[in-house]
Amino acid sequence: MKITWKVGAGASLLLLVTLRSHADTTLDQYLTLSGFGTLGEVHSDYRQADFTGEYIQPHGAGYSHSWSPTPDSDLGGQADLRIVDGLTGVVQVISRDTDDGNFKPGVEWANIKYAFTSDLAVRVGRTLLPTYERSDSENIGYALPWVRIPNEIRYSNSATHSDGVDVLYRIKTGTVTQDLQIQFGRTSEDFSGAVFRGKDLVVLSDTLQYGDTSVHLAYQTMMYTYSVLPPARFRLASAGFTYDPGTWFVTGDSNVAHYDFFGDFYAWYLSVGMRFGHFTPYLIYSLEDAPDSAPPSGLTQLGDERTMGAGVRWDFAKNIDFKAQLQRVTIGTVDAPASFNNIQPGLRPGDKANVVSLTLDFVF
Amino acid sequence: MKTTALSAMIFAVLAANVHAEDIVVIVNPAAKPLSKEQIVDIYLGRSADLTPIDQTVGSSIYVQFYKKATGRDAAQMKAIWSRILFTGRGQPPKQLPDSAAVKKSVAANPNAVGYIEKSAVDATVKVALPLD
Repeated sequence: MKITWKVGAGASLLLLVTLRSHADTTLDQYLTLSGFGTLGEVHSDYRQADFTGEYIQPHGAGYSHSWSPTPDSDLGGQADLRIVDGLTGVVQVISRDTDDGNFKPGVEWANIKYAFTSDLAVRVGRTLLPTYERSDSENIGYALPWVRIPNEIRYSNSATHSDGVDVLYRIKTGTVTQDLQIQFGRTSEDFSGAVFRGKDLVVLSDTLQYGDTSVHLAYQTMMYTYSVLPPARFRLASAGFTYDPGTWFVTGDSNVAHYDFFGDFYAWYLSVGMRFGHFTPYLIYSLEDAPDSAPPSGLTQLGDERTMGAGVRWDFAKNIDFKAQLQRVTIGTVDAPASFNNIQPGLRPGDKANVVSLTLDFVF
Repeated sequence: MKTTALSAMIFAVLAANVHAEDIVVIVNPAAKPLSKEQIVDIYLGRSADLTPIDQTVGSSIYVQFYKKATGRDAAQMKAIWSRILFTGRGQPPKQLPDSAAVKKSVAANPNAVGYIEKSAVDATVKVALPLD
């Protein structure tokens, strides 16, 4: 059995983090190990397709199985290295259900960061794309108020990380802080048996913070190839916000995207939640729509879907939470609706799926 | 006899209602003045103007500090710092076991900020903000 170095390194890191005992104090100065994970189960009553946590997942709940752990379960490990003053490195490995249908660990990011000042830093290597307001924590269930970031908002952008360079710059004007990020790189993602490749990838991101309010704006562009398609352009603009004074929150995100060949898409979500002791119930509405104009691909209304969701997060013990989320998903298309895979011939636009998701999120 | 028992009961009720001591935010004597907003931003990871020091996560003074200063509980703080840690943007504050250790660290470092009981304040540190 051939084991690639990536799988070996990834598995070793995960093993190391999960078996971590008290580190030697001198080692502590240079290396910090931490990890996160989610154990989840999803049930869907809709038999004409599988509900997934991410569209690259080949199976889910509904058609293949009534209940499925694959949409949301994952395990991640991270090693933070302090090399010399100002120079740090990070490697993060995640194991989750991917295109192959197994939980092969993948390097989510691995980069070296040099901080010129406390406000200016450069990173080289693999970094997460800051496309959405919560792109950075899409795999970290414990950091999210909901079970998952809505599939609709993530539908437009196939790439989650970039291999290249990025620059982080923080500007303070009075009480407003801006975190600017500019990223150059390339990306590739395996799905549906073919490889999606993006080159000349440029992302500009600005997160403005004023007290308990933050606004996130981003613009992304790249040239992509997928399967037998000739190189084509992708562009996306996103705007999101969060207001979180602690006792309640309201947050939303939106994006418009264009793929040469596949056409235009837009998506948004809005959510509100309140905190009662250790419980944070929430409502979340999300939508993805591809306008009707017929792109060269011949696929119209790609991904169309909307979801009304309600749930509760319970912080019942230190470093662990439990979430229960109910969703009613209205499927708008037979062509790759945002949350579904394994589309069966009986699927009709307008069909509704009732989905229950239960998760335990933890950090260590 | 009866009055003694009554006084004992009153004392017990009063003692039970005494809240934990007032907490103050301390900085190095050489540090510039800080507003409450700046302190909140530092402890929520939004600003790196100073280096925050925590007492043991989940301890009584930790919970009270975050409740009074930020309106958030220990789980919310863990979620906030988890997001920062796992996105490569920083590390959670260093934890020290008690107020004496916090005082010592803040006194030795002009860039540090910490929180201790009001009664523990002495000349080695400066009070930046009392919390009520």
